[in-house]
Amino acid sequence: MSIFEYNGSALVAMVGKNCFAIASDRRLGVQLQTVATDFRRIYRIHDKVYIGLSGLATDAQTLYQRLVFRHKLYQLREERDMKPETFASLVSSILYEKRFGPYFCQPVIAGLGDDDQPFICTMDCLGAKELAKDFVVSGSASESLYGACESMYKPDMEPEELFENISQALLASVDRDCLSGWGGHVFLVTPSEVQERTLKGRMD
Amino acid sequence: MSRRYDSRTTIFSPEGRLYQVEYAMEAIGNAGSAIGILATDGVVLVGEKKVTSKLLQTSKSTEKMYKIDDHLACAVAGIMSDANILINTARVQAQRYTFAYQEPMPVEQLVQSLCDTKQGYTQFGGLRPFGVSFLFSGWDSNFGFQLYMSDPSGNYSGWKAAAIGANNQAAQSMLKQDYTEDLGREEAVNLALKVLSKTMDSTSLTSDKLELAEIFLLPSGKVKYQVCSPEGLTKLLLKSGVNQPAAEPSA
Repeated sequence: MSIFEYNGSALVAMVGKNCFAIASDRRLGVQLQTVATDFRRIYRIHDKVYIGLSGLATDAQTLYQRLVFRHKLYQLREERDMKPETFASLVSSILYEKRFGPYFCQPVIAGLGDDDQPFICTMDCLGAKELAKDFVVSGSASESLYGACESMYKPDMEPEELFENISQALLASVDRDCLSGWGGHVFLVTPSEVQERTLKGRMD
Repeated sequence: MSRRYDSRTTIFSPEGRLYQVEYAMEAIGNAGSAIGILATDGVVLVGEKKVTSKLLQTSKSTEKMYKIDDHLACAVAGIMSDANILINTARVQAQRYTFAYQEPMPVEQLVQSLCDTKQGYTQFGGLRPFGVSFLFSGWDSNFGFQLYMSDPSGNYSGWKAAAIGANNQAAQSMLKQDYTEDLGREEAVNLALKVLSKTMDSTSLTSDKLELAEIFLLPSGKVKYQVCSPEGLTKLLLKSGVNQPAAEPSA
């Protein structure tokens, strides 16, 4: 079994009209045994940039701490927050630094740019960026997420519809994956506010 | 002019002095001054900017005050290029600590680590010392609000009110006279402005020569570092009565 599926995870980000949503499952497992049911894989970098880290949870946490370190120094030197595109490049370069002993994580990055244009991207554990205009997925449930998002995504959704669709896609997908589930966390980010919602699904 | 024990920082003179370090302190005596005052509910930093030419582009952000971490800031007097190096290391140190321990760095620990760097340059290898004095202000959960002063030798000490830069001795003695325990932040600002206006070389205190920053706790318990805007400064100056509007009109 792949180390990427050791803890189990499901991550998805979707864009709407001047907004985006990023969602994850809540399970932390060790192979088939569930260890925690309120685990967080999505981290806030600043008000308009979020990163989800699927894969090995210990690497995800360390990687997040390194990203906070680098982003904080950037904030202090530049006296502003990082743009999502810049942040994605930072994540990419930090991952590639460990080319021959990588963090076993597949990140999903989502943010709102200067003109409130949503930005989403994912990358592999070596930092190869994959940009998308509609949605990105990662984690052990990624295969079923691709299918669910493919059929549920519509361009230019308003925040509420976006929330509904990403939640349905997530819940449908984790039910088809043994290693992820136990509800979900959804972050819905619009230019004016950020909403965090917790989903209940099949809690078993 | 003495020469024999001057050229190296690492050699004591027969009287037991390190000339290069003393010269570095001399250099700071000519720099724009900064004053820090510890209040009951925060720390206040005030600095005097030296306006060298009106053609010079004034930076949008602060020149003398630097945020080091969310809970820490410093005011600088001395050679700015030297200061930039130290501020950079301080910021990295603070983040390294947070990375390792997942909590903000204690104020004194940061001051100490920076002063270790400064001290190193007075002892090792033919370099010159950093020509910078700092006023550090910050808050941590163990000791609350704190104010520290450091000099080029790498000495540091905690203060209730302190001054660095030009005329720091005059400022220091004024602070000694006028400082009272349980000073609020607003009163501390007034005191700092008063002292600065009296010890500054130029006659009138205006907002473009001044910088004011405060560290305090928000109701949420988070530490806030706030820099006063030029407009806010102008208002403050008028309110505190430091800046007499009835002064003779400028030619």
